[in-house]
Amino acid sequence: MSAVTGLSFRDSGKLGLLLLISPLLLWLSLFILLPHVDLVMISLRERVAAREYAFSWSNYTAFFTEPLYWRTFMRTAVMSILATALTLLIAFPVAFYIAKMVRGRFKALLFVLCLIPFWVSELVRTYGWMILLRETGIFSGLLQWLGWVDQPVEMLYNDVAIMVGLVYTSMLFMVVPLVTTLEGLDDSLIEAAYDLGGSHFRVIWDVVIPHAMPGIVSGCIVVFMLTLGNYLTPTLLGGKDSLWFTEQIYTQFITRFNWEQGSAFGMLLLILSSFIVWAGLKLSRQSFTRVMT
Amino acid sequence: MIPSIPSSRYFRGIYATYVVLFFVYLILPLAVVAVFSFNDSLFPSLPWNGGTLDWFLGESEPRLGIFHDDELLGSIGVSFWVALGVTLLSLSLATCNAFLFERHDFAGKGFLYMLMLTPLVIPGVILGVSILIFSSSIANGLEDNYGLEIEWLRPGLPLVILGQFAFITTIATLVISARLRRFDHSLEEAALNLGASRLAVVRTITLPYLRPAIIGAGIVTFLMSFENFNTTLMLVGSDAPLTIAMFDRLREGSTPVLNAVSVLLMVGSAILGLISLFVQKPRDE
Amino acid sequence: MQAQSSLKEMDLECRGVTKTFGDFTAVEDISFAIPRGSFFSILGPSGCGKTTLLRMLAGFQSPDSGDILIKGRSVLNTPPNRRPVNMVFQHLALFPNMTVAENVAYGLKRRNVDKHEIKTRVADMLSRVGLPDAGGKQVSQLSGGQKQRIAIARCLVLNPDVLLLDEPLGALDLKLREQMKVELKQLQEKFAATFIYITHDQSEALVMSDQVAVMNHGRFEQVGTPQALYYEPATRFVAGFVGESNRWQASISARDERGFRLQTEAGLSMQADREIGDKSASQNDWGVGKSLELFLRPESISVAPGHQALGTENAYQGHVESVLFDGARSQLLVRIEGALDLLNVSLPQTAEFRSIRKGDSVSVGWSSAQVQCYEV
Repeated sequence: MSAVTGLSFRDSGKLGLLLLISPLLLWLSLFILLPHVDLVMISLRERVAAREYAFSWSNYTAFFTEPLYWRTFMRTAVMSILATALTLLIAFPVAFYIAKMVRGRFKALLFVLCLIPFWVSELVRTYGWMILLRETGIFSGLLQWLGWVDQPVEMLYNDVAIMVGLVYTSMLFMVVPLVTTLEGLDDSLIEAAYDLGGSHFRVIWDVVIPHAMPGIVSGCIVVFMLTLGNYLTPTLLGGKDSLWFTEQIYTQFITRFNWEQGSAFGMLLLILSSFIVWAGLKLSRQSFTRVMT
Repeated sequence: MIPSIPSSRYFRGIYATYVVLFFVYLILPLAVVAVFSFNDSLFPSLPWNGGTLDWFLGESEPRLGIFHDDELLGSIGVSFWVALGVTLLSLSLATCNAFLFERHDFAGKGFLYMLMLTPLVIPGVILGVSILIFSSSIANGLEDNYGLEIEWLRPGLPLVILGQFAFITTIATLVISARLRRFDHSLEEAALNLGASRLAVVRTITLPYLRPAIIGAGIVTFLMSFENFNTTLMLVGSDAPLTIAMFDRLREGSTPVLNAVSVLLMVGSAILGLISLFVQKPRDE
Repeated sequence: MQAQSSLKEMDLECRGVTKTFGDFTAVEDISFAIPRGSFFSILGPSGCGKTTLLRMLAGFQSPDSGDILIKGRSVLNTPPNRRPVNMVFQHLALFPNMTVAENVAYGLKRRNVDKHEIKTRVADMLSRVGLPDAGGKQVSQLSGGQKQRIAIARCLVLNPDVLLLDEPLGALDLKLREQMKVELKQLQEKFAATFIYITHDQSEALVMSDQVAVMNHGRFEQVGTPQALYYEPATRFVAGFVGESNRWQASISARDERGFRLQTEAGLSMQADREIGDKSASQNDWGVGKSLELFLRPESISVAPGHQALGTENAYQGHVESVLFDGARSQLLVRIEGALDLLNVSLPQTAEFRSIRKGDSVSVGWSSAQVQCYEV
């Protein structure tokens, strides 16, 4: 019966459908599809004279022949994967604690406490880390006060600082999907698995993690995307030698005004991120639509 | 494990400590930023020289406070108008999208839905550059062929608004769709049955039901736009929104006036965030 | 069906209404007419097409063929928001964003009724359903039964020609449901309105209705008073669906002008009268060997402790297999000697059965007029 419910109001005519679908199509084509088609086309051309262009793979061959480019690229990818894994490892116990260990108002409070830092701009968060890590910063001062070091220590401008900032900045996007999926896990399933003789580890491995999989995958995808595409954190915490690929794109577009090369870099980054998202979905057997909604 | 399953006190202690440390980690950078906005020093760093309100109220260089720093104040204004524009555009389209995907069946729906989600997995920088080159292509084409010079297709605030709108709409769509999906369809039928016209049904039943989601999505949209950096960086012209202005100052090295701006931002976003939580809290379900 | 009275007094009439969804026929060639001021129920299992039928009456679906008339005028081309029928939804569909008074006023507002008039009519309606002070409340503050009354008030304030009710009691707990049955019937009589009530709960249909239509696979099996359905089910489906029965598969072993001798598969032999049961087939054509299904109500079986002559055409000896005590609805499960299956017998509320136990021997019997026979 319920299958037929509401048919009449739903198919309220072709006109309504047309009115609703045209803004969507305009948005998708003007702001998503066509710009990326243009990006591909520009990445595949070469300036031969003023205002004259020819088809060419040179922007892509430049990427492979210049070690700085592809090393930056690989480094960005590896560090993004590492940051994603770290974020997951740190966030999971916390998400489990919020979803399963505490109840009522305290739970709501902890959850909101998790959200608050992320209502504030990423710039402010990164700025906070700069104040903590710099030579004249809090940590350096603390170490001196404790007598563990006898002169200021510079903790900014290295890979660890970048990693700390990236993990921090991504935390929310991991915690929220994890808490949401873990809350959907019925306590009695955990109790049943334990009652049937499972050890804590087995229960987590056999019951909790499979259930949380959609949350884990969606958290990882979003975190990975944000990390890979991050510009602020590597630039501010990593300094001049942070070697993040988005900086290369920025340099080509804004500093060198070499849009052809920049477009090729943009395409490469897009291909890399799409590939890793696709691989993540395949490995975990999740669907993109399901994970994202 | 969950409370109903026995575990050692030792384990519980460690677990609780871990969670406490996690929250310290979360709060620490923000707390430090806030505290140093009151430091009576020209640099946002140790040593602590005692408290001052100069970084909020100071009237002249080098101790120019945020309330007299015209450049930063101007950029806050720019960000505000950009965010307002993005919010209005995104909410209108997102509401349409929600009705389209929740209420209609049509060929290619699954594909369009997936396409609608893709902005979530396009890095902001790339979205920015792709819109930059596309708009420039159009502008160049118009200029070369028709001699038209269309200013707003060149880097500047209109492009910033459009660029942010391009991906923020997806998030607003997800928020509004989620609530529309839970809507009890028989409420609309009941209204129709009581003599309401189609338009009256939407006005008196469906939209009031969606209101919390629309307000919530509006707040999220506004904050995301206000704080956006990556896409904005690629599309910005001469008028800098707040994040860009702050970024430039940060790289130059700045006085704690930046801390003061940050405190204002924290207060502002906390208020908006709490409003959105309050509005979205289910009251009658 | 009842003799048709003149068209004018009919509030609602369906003529050959059919609705299909793809290959599935939800409603097949249904015709009926409901006189003004009556309580008409459509009773059937889930999936029988009753909701589809109701939604066609409300205008949310349109029939593939046939006609629907309200007060003698076809409403096929009238959209749902202009039909003079109102509907109480399964989950009531009270508007959560409005107060009780705003809910009741909703339909009047849509008709642009004058503000003062709305106020008085809403207040009047609320007091007529016994909730005069509920106007300012939020819907969520009401109890289940109160919500029910508001949902009905919201419709009745518009003076509809017909009120449609889509299993509105389904969500209530048992106690409240019993109470609401009585209340609904009283409301209907008070307002002298025409109610069409659909349900899968036979007790709701029997208690409240003037007429009940039993629906199955998109067709009406039988339309009649609750008594007619219960005592003279016209088809095998009605006999099985309405009330409780003992059921047997049986075949005719002998026949005479009074009735049939029947042999059940479980090994029971009994006598049944003609013209009891199946109205859809001619019982004169039934010969020896014909397969039938028999229905016998638990309360039409006589029972006595020990060995006694009951004076009925069919009489047997057996012993109690178990006692299912349920107050006035208590039953015995009796195993008849030499037969395979158990017999459900209503437990008489008399002193001699107070101490009956499992294993006691009993005499059971029933008259040949109580056995309902149907073609398989």
